[in-house]
Amino acid sequence: MTSLCNCCFQTFLKSIFSHTAWDISREVDQRLHLTSWWTSPPTREEAAARSAGGMAGAPDERGPGPAAREQLQQQHVGCRVFPERPAQGTPQQGFLSGFFTSNQKCQLMLLKTLETNPYVKLLLDAMKYSGCAVNKERHFSCEDCNGNVSGGFDASVSQIVLCQNNIRNQAHMSRVVTHELVHAFDHCRAHVDWFTNVRHLACSEVRAANLSGDCSLVNEIFRLHFGLKQHHQTCVRDRAILSILAVRNISKEVAQKAVDEVFESCFNDHEPFGRIPHNKTYARHAHRDFQNRDRYYANI
Amino acid sequence: MTSQSSLVPLPINHEVAGGSGSSSDMADGGGWRPPRPCEAYRAEWELCCSAGHFLRHYYVHGERPACGQWRRDLASCREWEERRSAEAQRSLCESERARVRAAQKHGLVWTPRQSPPADWHLPLPQDKDS
Repeated sequence: MTSLCNCCFQTFLKSIFSHTAWDISREVDQRLHLTSWWTSPPTREEAAARSAGGMAGAPDERGPGPAAREQLQQQHVGCRVFPERPAQGTPQQGFLSGFFTSNQKCQLMLLKTLETNPYVKLLLDAMKYSGCAVNKERHFSCEDCNGNVSGGFDASVSQIVLCQNNIRNQAHMSRVVTHELVHAFDHCRAHVDWFTNVRHLACSEVRAANLSGDCSLVNEIFRLHFGLKQHHQTCVRDRAILSILAVRNISKEVAQKAVDEVFESCFNDHEPFGRIPHNKTYARHAHRDFQNRDRYYANI
Repeated sequence: MTSQSSLVPLPINHEVAGGSGSSSDMADGGGWRPPRPCEAYRAEWELCCSAGHFLRHYYVHGERPACGQWRRDLASCREWEERRSAEAQRSLCESERARVRAAQKHGLVWTPRQSPPADWHLPLPQDKDS
């Protein structure tokens, strides 16, 4: 309960600032083609610090053409969001918090999520069936990250990054893992052009926001985003746009256009759940259906 | 390796197992059984009728959920279990095919893979170098 109250308090503080600060403080890491999941807008102080440091990797002047511009951005090895990549090595040990370091806590929470969370168990089964069996040591990495990012999927090495300094509790870990596994699942089942096709990125972000529980009514209320009728779709659109802006040096209008173009198709693509899993009950139903798929398709 | 994703539904014209669809072939079962256990239809119907689902469905779609088809499917499933009714079998098949069609009607943004990414199981670059 204490951690939940702390989570609520942090979310409350961060959500009272306007999205103007958000626009200023976009984090970009094009070289690693990461998709990034924001938990909430950065604080005004963080946004001011980043804007004072300049928008590295997002210059106003343009190179000879799009390809050259992309190359320049690739060479920008600031990795401001995921500073421990690509030089991964041994994750840094954080300060001792109780009996465990942040890395150890991350690992423990990850293990519990992988073993017990019905969203994750379905995704893992589906990926295994598709030929992408997930190995905890190979496909997950707990690292310190900058800013308010909770995690990301590194398509260049097929690995999920978990931001051990920003994931607050078990429920949060489960949502982040679910979100990133949706990206990993898309990477496994389709030719997703993470780097050069914004529509592909937008589609995966729409799906991840839709299916991870991130846009549940309760979570939106905690963010002080009040709305009921079809508000889920508004949340999915908004968070998909924010996630795109976090890893791509494009304008909000371009991101919005990409989301609008793919929204109907990708919002209604519920694989592997077959439905929008509003909570664990729905996820368990979906898992049951997945395990029953042979009987299902043999008898319709 | 061909990735057989069960998540891509089989074509709608996939033949029903056990026969071409004539009622006489199906009347005795011919190996056919309901696509889902009757308990699953009941669980879906009860979930659909719950207040929580009403609220969540309205939150997502802006309209109230329609639960009548789950009730009809549950009735058909029970009728099949008790009397091996051909009409019940036909009704269930048509209902589930309609669900598959509804899920398939939106086109894909990307091209499905025929095999998983080549580097999925390879060690990380720094692991290879060490």
